[in-house]
Amino acid sequence: MESIDSVSITILFGAVLVLAGIMSSLVALRFGAPLLLVFLLVGMLAGESGIGGIKFDDVRLAYTVGSVALGLILFDGGLRTRTATFRNVLAPAGLLATLGVLIIMALTAPVAVWALQLNWSEGLLVGAVMASTDAAAVFFLLHAKGLRLRPRVSATLEVESGMNDPFAIFLTIVLVEVLFSGRQAWTSIALLLAEKGVIGGLIGWAGGHTMVLVLNRLVLPQGMHAPFVATGALVTFGLAEALHGSGFLAVYVAGLIVGNHETRAHNIIVTFLDAATWLAQIAMFVLLGLLAWPERLPQRLLPALAVALALMLVARPAAVLICLAPFRFSLREKLFISWVGLRGAVSVFLASIPMLVGLPGAHFYFDVAFVVVMLSLLIQGWTIGVAGRLLRVGLPRIDVRARRTELDLPGTLKHELVGYPLVAESPFLRRGIKPSWAKLTLVVRDEHVQTPEEAGEVREGDHVYFLAPPDRVQALDRFFADRPMQASPDAALVEDFFVPADVTLGALAEIYGLTIPPQDAGTVLADYFAAYFIKHPPRPNDAIPLGPVKLVAHTVTDDRVVTVGLQLAEPEPLPRTVWDRAWIRLRRASRRVMARLRRPKP
Amino acid sequence: MPTPDLASPNAIIPALRVNGKKQALQEIAAKAAVLTGQSDKAILEILLQREKLGSTGVGNGVAIPHGKLAKLGSVFGLFARLERPVDFEALDGQPVDLIFLLLAPEGAGADHLKALARVARLLRDPEVAHKLRNSHDADALYAVLAMPSASAA
Repeated sequence: MESIDSVSITILFGAVLVLAGIMSSLVALRFGAPLLLVFLLVGMLAGESGIGGIKFDDVRLAYTVGSVALGLILFDGGLRTRTATFRNVLAPAGLLATLGVLIIMALTAPVAVWALQLNWSEGLLVGAVMASTDAAAVFFLLHAKGLRLRPRVSATLEVESGMNDPFAIFLTIVLVEVLFSGRQAWTSIALLLAEKGVIGGLIGWAGGHTMVLVLNRLVLPQGMHAPFVATGALVTFGLAEALHGSGFLAVYVAGLIVGNHETRAHNIIVTFLDAATWLAQIAMFVLLGLLAWPERLPQRLLPALAVALALMLVARPAAVLICLAPFRFSLREKLFISWVGLRGAVSVFLASIPMLVGLPGAHFYFDVAFVVVMLSLLIQGWTIGVAGRLLRVGLPRIDVRARRTELDLPGTLKHELVGYPLVAESPFLRRGIKPSWAKLTLVVRDEHVQTPEEAGEVREGDHVYFLAPPDRVQALDRFFADRPMQASPDAALVEDFFVPADVTLGALAEIYGLTIPPQDAGTVLADYFAAYFIKHPPRPNDAIPLGPVKLVAHTVTDDRVVTVGLQLAEPEPLPRTVWDRAWIRLRRASRRVMARLRRPKP
Repeated sequence: MPTPDLASPNAIIPALRVNGKKQALQEIAAKAAVLTGQSDKAILEILLQREKLGSTGVGNGVAIPHGKLAKLGSVFGLFARLERPVDFEALDGQPVDLIFLLLAPEGAGADHLKALARVARLLRDPEVAHKLRNSHDADALYAVLAMPSASAA
């Protein structure tokens, strides 16, 4: 009986802890505090020196939970990354995740050696543990602060933080092995890295494709799709690790493959994994908080602060500036990217590895990592919004997200049903505009389901359902977002007129008497922009000259131009705004010069 | 640089009373038809054709409907100040009370675009718009519209 009781008590305490974590998210949202920090605090409070008084030092359990959680988080990260986004930023993000991690490790190590009185291998281990960034933390905070980044910046951050985890994990594990088994030749370390990477990548690739195949070929019972994928991800992870590959890389690759193939129940899978990821994060952080020894932390505070500052102010900016130098990012964007390199769960988790293998002085790494992560979450996490504003990297218009319902249509993978509640200020209701590829199919009004013909004109409070290709539904959101009217047009506005980007080039040419190649007459402007800029997706203010006029990408949502501004002739400076305009021209000219300089010589 | 007047003094409607965008365009087309000797139906048709692409309401209560008319002699401008603002499906959603119609002959090409750009940039100036809203007769409105070219010279 006693053993049953103790199990029940464990379950009770565990669940209450997770519940405390979940409820604390309300507090975090209210105060804009970094959520993960709150989870850590909940764990620490519950721990032996907190009010909970729970004695927990089972490193093995923490590592197991951490691995499962991290596996799911990485898989989810892969699942959400669209290959289109991925491909566009593969070079900058890839460089940041590999070379960048090495630079961060190399620059943090000397400070760690100095501040913590370590030898070089130990210093490098501290650097490796600290080298990965936390995507979840970054995006949760960006979202909470209502900051919308240029797609290229946010994609780079996202893909980077997905890719640098496996790499930082590699480095850490390899360095732990080096410290554990004495010196090894650097060539064999590099070989080990390559082996882990290749095996992990291959197994992830195979696992992802198998999951896609099973999802689409076998008829799984309703409700089994999402659990199947989640378990499949863990099997991929375990298999890769068992075969001496990197399980973390494997799950990420598998997620990438599943997320970018048309599968049954795609939305259910994404929703399920979203929930699973949250639970995983909470469990992981609370457990790591429990594992910490708060009474030991103050004595590590000063040296850890030195490491944290070196990381934030020197190592990360240096890595970002070096790795992004060949790519088109403005200095402000690079500074922003380097500031939001938040440390998170992965670092604390990695720091528990030395304890797991019983490395001498292993607690030390954990303590330092714990303090550095706390400091990073506190200092950087809390200032993301300010940094975004100061560096002016946010896009001018904040689209309030529309509440979207997605329904899979069994029998077709090409379309799904997307529903929105109609709000008064939505462009769809105000102006009746929608993309041509979305077809209004159902209108739900006062509990009645009607066809568009029966419903007639839609009105506020209706729920409208559209048939749309799954990969484009995101672009539909802005038509249903509650967008407050703009107080006044942008001062730097140089466009004279605006047209929605679903207008064809031919229609525009006819009205303004422009000459265009006849084969382009049927092309809609959005596609014209998409095809014109080969190297990158169109960005706001990208211009295409068209005879005497210029087409300017005015609003861009999800890499697709939505509104096009027409600049009819070179602006004649008005006396009042002559400096504004000169400034704009100067900026444009310098951008052109920079682009030319950066273009590789043929 | 001397610039031709955007709208002649007789092509100014100081207080137009309309209930909506469609009616505003109809009234303006009718007035333009009288002044240019063209068919009002043809004018309205080209204006509506342009509106179909997207509203010419450029924001801040200003709209600049425009189009090309085959038989027109030269670029023609007409300004109307509405008594009550009407919804023009403008980009910023604000109701419109200042409307500038610009018509150009079929082959005007660059002249058409230049004139349009001038009108758009003139009316985008908040001070100009403010003055137009506070001017109540055709002469005063004409003075505001003609002023920038005079001061720039």
